[in-house]
Amino acid sequence: MTANLDYWRKPSMIKTPSLRYGIYIAAITYFVLTVATLPIDWQRAAEGIERAGRIFSGAFPPNFDRSELLITGFLESLKIAILASAGGMLLSVPLAFMAAGNISPKPIYYLGRGIIIIARSFHPVIVAIIFVKAVGFGPFAGALTLIVYSIGFVAKLLAERIEEIDFGQVEALRAAGAPFLSTMFYAITPQIMPRMVGLGIYQLDSNLRASAVVGIVGAGGIGSTLANAFGRYDYDFALAITMVIVGVILISEAFSGVIRKQLL
Amino acid sequence: MLEIKKLVKRYGAGAPVLKDLDLTVQGEQVMSIIGSSGAGKSTLLRCVNRLVEPTSGSIRLNGTDFTTLSTRELRFARRRVGMVFQGYNLVDRLTVMENVQSGRLGYISTWAALTRRFPKEDIRRAYELMERVGIAQYASKRADELSGGERQRVGVVRALMQRPEILLADEPTASLDPKTSEQIMALLRDLASELNLPVIINIHNVNEAKEYSDRIVGMRYGRIIFDDVPEALDAAQMDEIYSGTPSEDRKAQGASA
Repeated sequence: MTANLDYWRKPSMIKTPSLRYGIYIAAITYFVLTVATLPIDWQRAAEGIERAGRIFSGAFPPNFDRSELLITGFLESLKIAILASAGGMLLSVPLAFMAAGNISPKPIYYLGRGIIIIARSFHPVIVAIIFVKAVGFGPFAGALTLIVYSIGFVAKLLAERIEEIDFGQVEALRAAGAPFLSTMFYAITPQIMPRMVGLGIYQLDSNLRASAVVGIVGAGGIGSTLANAFGRYDYDFALAITMVIVGVILISEAFSGVIRKQLL
Repeated sequence: MLEIKKLVKRYGAGAPVLKDLDLTVQGEQVMSIIGSSGAGKSTLLRCVNRLVEPTSGSIRLNGTDFTTLSTRELRFARRRVGMVFQGYNLVDRLTVMENVQSGRLGYISTWAALTRRFPKEDIRRAYELMERVGIAQYASKRADELSGGERQRVGVVRALMQRPEILLADEPTASLDPKTSEQIMALLRDLASELNLPVIINIHNVNEAKEYSDRIVGMRYGRIIFDDVPEALDAAQMDEIYSGTPSEDRKAQGASA
């Protein structure tokens, strides 16, 4: 029967052709409708370009006169990032173990997943607004925000790494009668260590960037300095800040790349 | 003495993998279990230390019924059963010494384990055993730097560190080349008599089973259909254990090796 066939196609994921094409058509229709009905005010956009021109002309040349303010802002951002990364990692590791389906019992698993989902559901800016309301303007709110942000990211990825481990190593230690925590430390931690270190370094980098964003809503650091500069129409100072942010992020990117290569 | 009585293991609703199995192992004998894949060899071995939960029946090791133990009691009971695995199951990123000492984790506190403060006596014993199997020079090397045969030796030493009353080996040589595989089998046989330790080995290589064991158990579809000294295993019984076409291949393999 199959001996003389020279024709083969990979079976489609959606078997019924009518359903398959129906889904394609629906997706295209929705996309076209969305673009057609989205309220885009072209006139307002045109005015905006003019205004953007004014901002940019005001921004040149960048003004570094108040570099003291700039440096203070940056040091504060750095402190926020370090504090948030350390706190975030510290909380993420146990949370990741809780949220790993292969090692934790169902109720604890759901609790861990739940906390991670909540930490992930809000953008750092929204979390920052809440913390600024709760603990007031300043770096403390920023650090708390980025701890939540770090948890959402690190705990999730770490939990997924734990779910991918070679379970044979856990089985071997269980067979030897090792207690629960000893098994975690010996069979799991070594397996996830490279990922843990990688995430920690990435998070430091990422928190530095994010601290500039959350600062805009009042959570301290260079973002606050930037928001103030915009508020006072000091576009030349704002440009100076932006340039330094880009520079620092480039440096930290290169730096973390080197560290990661050394460690892993 | 290990006494297994009326052991049944059923996964889900299907036919049981182990059907009313009775088996007694005593003394320092090396017993090999042979049988085609899916015969239940691995399940049987894992039921002994309850890595697989038996459905019914009893498993007694020197008087302790393993099937009725609570979680905590089971943890203590597991220290008395050493296990060697097909894929070694070493912690690759830890040193050989840490892997060997992980056989003692059931005895030392989590804090001592975490800070690597192993009792002097355990370290002495580890060196002794590593010396015996020829891996002492690798103590501070990472486990993943070793060759397959060396890794399995680490696996054996880790199991022996428990001072087990019985050693279970789940296809310990299946990932090894023929030469290394024979070395490991010889090692298991010698250790059994040196340490007065009964050893149960799941194995696919019938020739090795015959050469290195005192007793062979043949399993087929969850039942023991052969249980005797290696000399008693003849072609007809082999055929029955591995009934179906694969038996031809295995016999041919056996003749040439």
